[in-house]
Amino acid sequence: MAKITVYSTPTCGYCTMLKDFLNSKKVDFTEIDVAADQEAAKKMVEKTGQMGVPVSIIELEGGKEEVIIGFDQAKIIELLEL
Amino acid sequence: MYDIVIIGGGPAAIAAGIYAARKKMKSVLVSDNIGGQSVVSDGIENWIGEMIIPGAELAGKLKKHIENYKDDIDLAIPQLVEKVEKNADGTFKIITNKEEYHTKTVLITSGGRHRSLGVPGEEKFNGRGVAYCATCDAPFFGGKTVVVVGDGNSGLEAVVDLIAYADKVYLLARGGELRGDTITQEEIRKSDKVEIIHFANTTEILGEIMVESLKYKDLNTGEEKEIATQGVFVEIGTVPNSEMVADLVELTKKGEIVVNHQTYATSVSGIFAAGDVCDTLYKQNNIAVGDSIKALLSASEFVKKSKLKK
Repeated sequence: MAKITVYSTPTCGYCTMLKDFLNSKKVDFTEIDVAADQEAAKKMVEKTGQMGVPVSIIELEGGKEEVIIGFDQAKIIELLEL
Repeated sequence: MYDIVIIGGGPAAIAAGIYAARKKMKSVLVSDNIGGQSVVSDGIENWIGEMIIPGAELAGKLKKHIENYKDDIDLAIPQLVEKVEKNADGTFKIITNKEEYHTKTVLITSGGRHRSLGVPGEEKFNGRGVAYCATCDAPFFGGKTVVVVGDGNSGLEAVVDLIAYADKVYLLARGGELRGDTITQEEIRKSDKVEIIHFANTTEILGEIMVESLKYKDLNTGEEKEIATQGVFVEIGTVPNSEMVADLVELTKKGEIVVNHQTYATSVSGIFAAGDVCDTLYKQNNIAVGDSIKALLSASEFVKKSKLKK
């Protein structure tokens, strides 16, 4: 199973849509609220080079990591083979 | 052969989709997602029937409403329409990034997207300090200096969102007065973090890996100035998503689809358009919904008449 981390803020509409989409497909994910956790926000910027949400990190089987910027439904469907 | 292909996923598209389904028109709705531009709104306070509703919640409700009719309308999501072509017999071919659809009529309710500055550095630093949604991304700018470009309502609201996090917020306005609502102007003027720069025209965004500064031209003196900043929020309005019919129907200079405001017919018989993509005076959710339903009813009449002819 791929491991998914979603970085989001509570007031971000595309974050909510992304999470709703994953829930509707019964995909488990870890959510990190970067508004509540400034340290996590810094780590996310260091790791992904992005200063915006939503950003998802999908760790595929075999350890390969894919960073998805924004609510990119098509890319998520492709990577997770939904 | 479809009776109608509806392009878009905002309130206008969903409204048309529901009416098409209830009229049992053979229909398909094509969009990359459902929600529309208000998805990024913290709270919509003028959607009739709701005192306040977050944009994402409204998107969820729209999705649920249209999915309720999934037996009567095909939902081609996520798909992006690349081109609309007119066939010799007056029907249309819709080409998406995945499929092709053949149809008697087309309703374009593809809305708009944020306008870019179009200056060097903007694309390079997109997501690396350049941002288009303050509600979403303000928390990344805790203790930092940011610049908001644009002094309409969305610009002023971005300033409000950023005051909560940033140490310093510059607001760049092109004119001598701010254009956004007076009530929001008063709110931002109260904060000592905010500095408003008038007659400023952004010319470049600079940095190494992340944004480090912004250059602008002072329109009064012609002088070029530079502000050290870690963030640039671009809030200068929207552009219509009309590229798929750009060489087919009549557009305004701004790229809006020209429509007849009674029937919502475009310059090409069989193609209709409504909402923010067309030359409507008011870009509003409630207005887009009503106009789009009028367009759908016109398209329905068009289909009926074309059947009679045969």
